[in-house]
Amino acid sequence: MKTVYVCIGSACHVKGSYPVIAELTRLQDKTPPEHAYEIKAVFCLGHCTRAVSVRIDDGPVQTVSPSTVTEFHRSVLCADRS
Amino acid sequence: MTEAAAQKGATIGIRTAGIRTASGQTSRRRSQIIADFHLDIAFESLNKQGEELCGDRVEIVRQDDYVLAVLADGLGSGVKANILATLTSKIVATMLKAGAQLDEVVETVASTLPVCRERQIAYSTFSILQVFQTGQGYVVEFDNPSCVRLDKTRPVDLPAKQRVIAGKRIREYQFTLKAGDSIVLYSDGVVHAGVGKLLNMGWQRPEIKSFLARSVQKDSSAASISRILLTTVDCLYQGEPGDDATVLTLKACPRLPVTLMVGPPVDAAKDEWAVHELMQSPGKRIVCGGTTSQIVSRITRETLEVALDFPDPAVPPTGRIKGLDLVTEGIITLSRALEKMRQHAATSSLDRPSQQLQDGASQIAQILLEQATEVRFLVGRALNPAHQNPDLPLDLSLKLSVVSGMAEILRSQGKQVMIDYV
Repeated sequence: MKTVYVCIGSACHVKGSYPVIAELTRLQDKTPPEHAYEIKAVFCLGHCTRAVSVRIDDGPVQTVSPSTVTEFHRSVLCADRS
Repeated sequence: MTEAAAQKGATIGIRTAGIRTASGQTSRRRSQIIADFHLDIAFESLNKQGEELCGDRVEIVRQDDYVLAVLADGLGSGVKANILATLTSKIVATMLKAGAQLDEVVETVASTLPVCRERQIAYSTFSILQVFQTGQGYVVEFDNPSCVRLDKTRPVDLPAKQRVIAGKRIREYQFTLKAGDSIVLYSDGVVHAGVGKLLNMGWQRPEIKSFLARSVQKDSSAASISRILLTTVDCLYQGEPGDDATVLTLKACPRLPVTLMVGPPVDAAKDEWAVHELMQSPGKRIVCGGTTSQIVSRITRETLEVALDFPDPAVPPTGRIKGLDLVTEGIITLSRALEKMRQHAATSSLDRPSQQLQDGASQIAQILLEQATEVRFLVGRALNPAHQNPDLPLDLSLKLSVVSGMAEILRSQGKQVMIDYV
């Protein structure tokens, strides 16, 4: 199972870490088992200017926002390659 | 005032009642051997209904090794009582601090107070409390209700000695406080609570004691003990106090230093030193800031775990690093903590921060306000990348002003505060 790290540093918090985590948690139940993930909070991924920062396992740091998190879940988290 | 005078002042207990605490320096040395308490002192007053001024006055003098407090209750109420009480508390505190003997002080008060035209007397009752850092204490009372000692949370009567000074009958008490013990002094407005209305005979001493036994908790601060008692007095008066009422509490708290590190040092070469300072410090350790906690985690080689729960969605979750008592995000949490500290310091609410949400900001506020006796801030001045984001209303000066705001509140509560910028 993969791990999604969501940054909760100052900048990301202001930009919506809380709703992003809430939405990812809610979507966990609707995720096919082969794409299941675990959510972990993390202090500052070092990309403060592009908040909210998330990272899947050791992958690159990506940007999501409360308005793009559903799309992120569908096209990245539940994509075949991940 | 000269140092010699200050040391003389520290000895009122000795010459008037024979406390064997030596003058300043000696008692400091002794205090290291015996006990070394933080003396938490706080008072609250209620004004008689319809009065703008309180006829009770408290004067607190804090010296290196002792605290001296005078609670004076002027005859009557309003302006006249306020003037009498102010004069009395000021004269008593100033003279004792300067090394005068109790007899001189009482005589001075008696001959200085203006005479009331209606009653033809000049009169103000008073209580004097002096407690050393060692826990040794001394109380003198002239016509005020007897003080109550709290052994942790258990109210007890202190044995009193009666004496006549300058024609006035006074009571004296000597005692030694242990860690967590308090002394509660109050004016007669407390005893008269509800007289003739809710309570025929007012709120009498046995009832006050049993109320204290029920209400005071082990971790109640001096401020909350004063507040609990006085809020109840107000209720018994049904919000219309028939007399000025004041409660003064002193609590001997074991020392608990707290070190709070916020922000990475401006020079990365200093990271190691700063983390070392933090990890070597006694008492509780707090780290605020995402990057800062990562630095601490890297240097101590302890993993940083971040919680996923939001007890308060406005405050980012806390983290955990072995060896630290609290790890939080930086500026948002600190700003909220400062807000909570301001609220707590300004309002007379009985809510203790410990009873509120366990988010990072509440925890910081609670540790700093209710537990810490001295606080050291290690403030890193490095610029955070987030601060360069034009969308965010955050900058370095905000962090610095939050820290100095906290320092101000803590100092006003008699706590020692040190701020080191790195």
